[in-house]
Amino acid sequence: MAVCIAAFAKENYPLYIRSVPTQNELKFHYTVHTSLDVVEEKISAVGKSLGDQRELYLGLLYPTEDYKVYGYVTNSKVKFVIVVDSSNTSLRDNEIRSMFRKLHNSFTDVMCNPFYNPGDPIQSKAFNGIVSGMMVQTG
Amino acid sequence: MADEAPFQFLHSELIQYIYKSADTEDTENGRNISKLENLGCRVGQGLIERLTKDAPRFKDELDIMKFICKDFWTCLFKKQIDNLRTNHQGIYVLQDSQFRLLSHLSAGKQYLDYAPKYLAFTCGLVRGALSNLGLRSVVTAEISDMPACKFQVLIQKM
Amino acid sequence: MDCQEEKPIIYTMENKPIVTCAGDQGLFTSLYTSLAQQLPREPMEWRGTYGRAPKMIHLEANFVQFKEELLPKEGNKALLTFPFLHIYWTDCCDTEMYKSSVKEDMLRWQNTLRSHGSADWVIIIVETNDTKRKNKTNILPRSSIVDKIRSDFCNKQNDRCVVLSDPLKESSRSVESWNSLLLKLRTLLLMSFTKNLGRFEDDMRTLREKRTQPGWSFCEYFMVQEELAFVFEMLQQFEDALVQYDELDALFTQYVLNFGAGDTANWLGSFCAPVRNWSGLLLRRPIDMEKRDSIQRGEASLLDLRSYLFSRQCTLLIFLQRPWEVTQRALELLHNCVQELRLLEVSVVDGALDCWVFLSCLEVLHRIEGCCDQAQIAANCSHTVGLWAYATDKLKSLGELCGLVSEKVPTSEDLNRTVDLLAGLGDERPETANSLQSPYKKLKEALSSVEAFERHYLELSHAAMEMYQAIGRMRSARLVGKSLAEFYMRKGDPERAETFLQEALKSYVSEGWSLPLTHTRRQIAECQKLLGRTEDYLQTSALLAGDENLTTEERKHFFQEILSFAGKSGNPSHKVSLSMNVFAQLTRLQFHPATASVHSGGVLQVELMLRSLMPVSVHIQQLAASIHFEVDHGGTLGRSKGAQRHTNLGTIEFNLGNPSAGLPSSAAPRPVLELDEVQDRSPSDNSLNSTGVVCKNTHLLIRRHESNSPPEMPNCVSPPTVAMKEGAQMLKVQDVTLEPGNNSVIFTAPSGQPGSYMLRQLCATVGEVQFIQSHIYPSVGYEVYSQEPQLTVEPLSEPLLAGLPQMVKFTLLTGHYTVKKGDALQLSNSETMPILPSTSCTARISTPTAELVGESTLSIQSSEKVTSISLPPTPPYHTMEFQLEVLCIIPTGSERPANERLTNGEIRHRPRSYSHPDTPMTAIDQRMSIDCPWSIYSTLLTLTFYIPFKTKHSLLSAGNRKYIQVCVQNVSDVNFTLAEVKLTENQHASLELQSFNTKTHQLLCSKHSVFCLWEVRWKDDLPSCLQCVFSANFSPINQDTSAFKPFHYQFQLERVTTLYSVRAEILPPSGEQHCRCGLVCDLEVCITRLTELSEGEITEDSKTDTDGLKTTKLMYEVADSSSNWAVCGKSSGMVLMPTKANATHKVQIEVMPLFAGHLPFPKIKVLKYLPHTAAVATQPDPDSCVENDSLSLLDKTLDDQADTASIRSRGSVHSVGSGDQQQRGVAMPRLEPFSPGQVFNHSHTQQVLVLPTTEDHIMEVNAT
Repeated sequence: MAVCIAAFAKENYPLYIRSVPTQNELKFHYTVHTSLDVVEEKISAVGKSLGDQRELYLGLLYPTEDYKVYGYVTNSKVKFVIVVDSSNTSLRDNEIRSMFRKLHNSFTDVMCNPFYNPGDPIQSKAFNGIVSGMMVQTG
Repeated sequence: MADEAPFQFLHSELIQYIYKSADTEDTENGRNISKLENLGCRVGQGLIERLTKDAPRFKDELDIMKFICKDFWTCLFKKQIDNLRTNHQGIYVLQDSQFRLLSHLSAGKQYLDYAPKYLAFTCGLVRGALSNLGLRSVVTAEISDMPACKFQVLIQKM
Repeated sequence: MDCQEEKPIIYTMENKPIVTCAGDQGLFTSLYTSLAQQLPREPMEWRGTYGRAPKMIHLEANFVQFKEELLPKEGNKALLTFPFLHIYWTDCCDTEMYKSSVKEDMLRWQNTLRSHGSADWVIIIVETNDTKRKNKTNILPRSSIVDKIRSDFCNKQNDRCVVLSDPLKESSRSVESWNSLLLKLRTLLLMSFTKNLGRFEDDMRTLREKRTQPGWSFCEYFMVQEELAFVFEMLQQFEDALVQYDELDALFTQYVLNFGAGDTANWLGSFCAPVRNWSGLLLRRPIDMEKRDSIQRGEASLLDLRSYLFSRQCTLLIFLQRPWEVTQRALELLHNCVQELRLLEVSVVDGALDCWVFLSCLEVLHRIEGCCDQAQIAANCSHTVGLWAYATDKLKSLGELCGLVSEKVPTSEDLNRTVDLLAGLGDERPETANSLQSPYKKLKEALSSVEAFERHYLELSHAAMEMYQAIGRMRSARLVGKSLAEFYMRKGDPERAETFLQEALKSYVSEGWSLPLTHTRRQIAECQKLLGRTEDYLQTSALLAGDENLTTEERKHFFQEILSFAGKSGNPSHKVSLSMNVFAQLTRLQFHPATASVHSGGVLQVELMLRSLMPVSVHIQQLAASIHFEVDHGGTLGRSKGAQRHTNLGTIEFNLGNPSAGLPSSAAPRPVLELDEVQDRSPSDNSLNSTGVVCKNTHLLIRRHESNSPPEMPNCVSPPTVAMKEGAQMLKVQDVTLEPGNNSVIFTAPSGQPGSYMLRQLCATVGEVQFIQSHIYPSVGYEVYSQEPQLTVEPLSEPLLAGLPQMVKFTLLTGHYTVKKGDALQLSNSETMPILPSTSCTARISTPTAELVGESTLSIQSSEKVTSISLPPTPPYHTMEFQLEVLCIIPTGSERPANERLTNGEIRHRPRSYSHPDTPMTAIDQRMSIDCPWSIYSTLLTLTFYIPFKTKHSLLSAGNRKYIQVCVQNVSDVNFTLAEVKLTENQHASLELQSFNTKTHQLLCSKHSVFCLWEVRWKDDLPSCLQCVFSANFSPINQDTSAFKPFHYQFQLERVTTLYSVRAEILPPSGEQHCRCGLVCDLEVCITRLTELSEGEITEDSKTDTDGLKTTKLMYEVADSSSNWAVCGKSSGMVLMPTKANATHKVQIEVMPLFAGHLPFPKIKVLKYLPHTAAVATQPDPDSCVENDSLSLLDKTLDDQADTASIRSRGSVHSVGSGDQQQRGVAMPRLEPFSPGQVFNHSHTQQVLVLPTTEDHIMEVNAT
């Protein structure tokens, strides 16, 4: 399960960041922020390089000693990032995929919610709930 | 997606409401048109988010415009745009020879002077959709012979 | 060839599949070279085992002499040493020899092969011509030998026996046989491969299946599968070889994971042994035999195994030209190893892993550099940068571990640790021993000294950063920069550190990442503090103090920093100004009054809503807003200026994002789209061509905007704070305390000078620190206007009646003028409207908002020229009201000197009187001239009074006796009492006026009249002209006598003396006793002169006189207006009248009564007759003033501009005017009436009885 889940706007400012309380939140902020580099790289790679680059799921952005960072970009250029603990090797790629799908679906609902103003940070409880479901349950 | 009949009725009522609730001055300086367009914009944003949920990532601008002409339009109006033209400089012209929101108004020039307000919302839909897909644009429309109409999309080069 | 001596050792590339040779060694040797050459020449397609894709391979072979030992024993898994094909060479051609020796040899060979179950053999028979040439006798056809061998050995597999003919000849035949031989060999080899590898793999898989069974060893299995890999590699099937290693890799990984999951495999024990050697990967050998052996011996550590595996994978990948996969796999491997060691809870010396990773990274990088050129590397640094960064991190943590990252030298324990770590590296490998840049050397050197470490660390960091930048991974680059900054901090070099931090900060700000922002900002604060850059530091502290991401304690701390500096009293030069809106934000501004416009000196309050971002309440010595003042000319009266246009009811809302972490610039609002409808009409007929929706501000929306413009907020760099210039005009409040959150501060705005005041800067002073908002936007301002003092007078009650004391109200709006003690109003007195001294006259002073602030009694001194009213002190823009009683004297019409000067040198303005349209009363405008202390000019005020009365007089006569009647009509709405009615004639003492008015008091109700009558008595003779003054006292009804006011009416009568008396008589027709209607009767008129010549007449008549006798011409006329009479014949005539007393003249006129009854006499007029010669007109002709009174005359002069003329002169002016007319008319005889009283008609109102006519009925008819 994820240790940190984040969503960024088109303009790359955070719409939502949540990480496990046990670990240093700041570190995650740095990690996900940096991951944007790779996300952008992969987004801009669309069309240029061959192979099926057109999937929304961007796969493993980059591994670090402690974490694996996965990325996903919607067609509206909203990015989701899921950070998984490296020790957690049981997690298969398609599980990550489905997590992202869940996020995306939930986000779509947020977007379609009249009380949400596109571009604002995500406050939706529903979304939060989905995220909590994916996060490492601590204690 | 909502079935088209309710959508059409709601759309007409929306226009009625906007124009009734505003004073003439607003109508003159096009504030109502803008109001409608803005409503459309927000709807477009939400709608496109939903429609592109399962679509593959777009290769380029043209790819996006095609999506608008096909899936987006079909979802809204049960038909595709009949003709898409572009100068490859960010200008796109979308022609709909049977625009749903006009078809019940008239066939020909009758009520032509009222037609624009029936396009504003759709202009907004397109702009909203595009903006949510990361393209800032200005969408305008032209009708010379209902129910056919043209939408012109001018996309800002980043 | 003695290759059978050397034991085949594993050295991959030199490996070839082994082929044994039996039989004629000499023969083989002779053919070996060409064989060895030609075998690989043609590729063969090989469909590998396990459905592997068919590949073309070039076969080579390592030919060795056949020995039994070469044949594999049971269960021997060595593939590399496995002989895949056995060849028996012979060139025997005669049967004897075959039978005798060769055959046995072959049999032996066959048996040994069979005994080892090896079926991969072939017999090659070489035939040459020279053998044929030997002994011709007892020659069998060779074929027979081949046949023999075939039949003896290869039953039903003839293909195992091949003939090679004339191998050493250059004949087509020989070539042909060579080819078929080679083909055969290749085919057989491949068959053998397939068969044996297949078998091998089967065994291998079965072995793998056993892996769950106890006693199964990964290492053994490893060796087996690697054997396969070797073979593939030998056959240059690198792909397949790699697969083998990957499978092993996966398998091992799985084990470790399972171990983590709980089920432990006993063989894993060896891998869990503590790490003793961390010398890193070694990629320069195709095979690292030491490690391989240790694995074989089951003594390998996890790192050993991983290193070995990877080194093999690396080698193969490089064979496959996939260097970038190496780097990528390397990174994964390193991460993975670290994880696995954790998972297996392998005990590792602190830093050992860091060494291992560091060395490994560099090793990989070197290996890659070894096989790619610079261009490739540059192009692919996206693949290598990860390793660089990783190495950098590790080196850094090593440095920290070994106390190399600090200002001090490492401690002894640091040194010990270093030594231990270096020990773990072992000796340098021979491969790298002589390369200067080997990872090993690098690490050793880096750890050797602080300086060396710094050098290496910086080198690596910069390398990583540059690579990141090169591939556009700016964020990553900045992150490296940040850790570099941290390094510099540790080294006590904040200056360098800050530059990196600022760099990072920018991106966080522009992308709106609040948490990293806060963190970085804190580090910056630290730098700035160390650098002693006070201003920046305080600015940053302010930002941090207001940063919600920090705990209250931290925020308090930073705020305290500011305070403690602010507390430092001392050199004023060291005032620091910081940006305001990190400290407190101006959210709302409100004007009281909301119009934001006030008269100069008036009170205008400005209420600021400040949201303090500070964690605690702040005491501010002074909060000031500087003002830009603009005098506006043409003193506007509270006209609101541009600035106010923003305000709705004097309230301005300011909305600015949270400065500490606002949305990024890219998310900044942009202009809203403005659409409109258009209609395109055809020019010919105005019909619609098309309509549409257009955008009115496309140019604004589509404008290419620079995406990376930093948002307008104080961020990284300390904001450009304009030093608060000490403008003269300021809004100031002293000693305010701002609580966290919203505070309302109220200023009292300066409103001295009239003009517009724009608020420019906001400045809060806390000790030595000033928080400044360099400009307030949207611009806000207020307005001060100035007002001249105004004095007005108005009646207390409408209408003001002349002649009676009336209250008038004075209202003084002081405007900008302050009424000081001793200021007084100087009213020039005028006798037409005196100001009545009143005992108690109080002035009420009230504010603009009409609340009473003071009351005080006025003192009024009157000299004969001026009345001065001394005003009580009154502040500006107040209202003073007081009332005065004035009396407008009703003009009597007496003479007055023209143009008399007033005391103040003003020309006296005569009261102008005129009849007012909406009232019958005559109005009089009374001008007052007042000198006010605030102006050198006197103020002119006008009051309109109304005369309540209209007065008429008339002269009545009875023969010689004269009576004067005065009629007073009350035209006002008030009822009056009239008292003491008097008529006086002041010129002729002899004259006596006897009143017939009995009542002393008379009621004169509104719209009613009172008539008064006097008889004129005189002694000797009656003066021709009388100057009369009618006077009465009047007062509004039922008031005490004191209220009575005099009323004068002056008039003059002329030619009062009766000149002629006229008597008429009507005589019935002769023979009739009475007059009868319809019958003509005689009217006898007798005119008698009563007096001598009166002075008025003298001159005129003398002329007309022919003889000495004075006469005057009269004209009479009988006219019956009532048409009772018909005048028959001549109705008028001329009479020449001697001007002496009792001269009489009679005339007779025939008249006929038309009706019966008492008929009044027909009227008889007597007129003066003036002959044409008369020059009378030139001189004033009094007669034109007939039936005249001054007021009625005044009426005529309503439009007369010469209002300084006296009533009298006005009269004359008039008559002159009329005289002119007479002159202009042709000089012809004129008739003039006598003034009343000059002619007395006795028969006036006399009647005569007329009887009806006899023929009644006719008369009736006539009558009707």
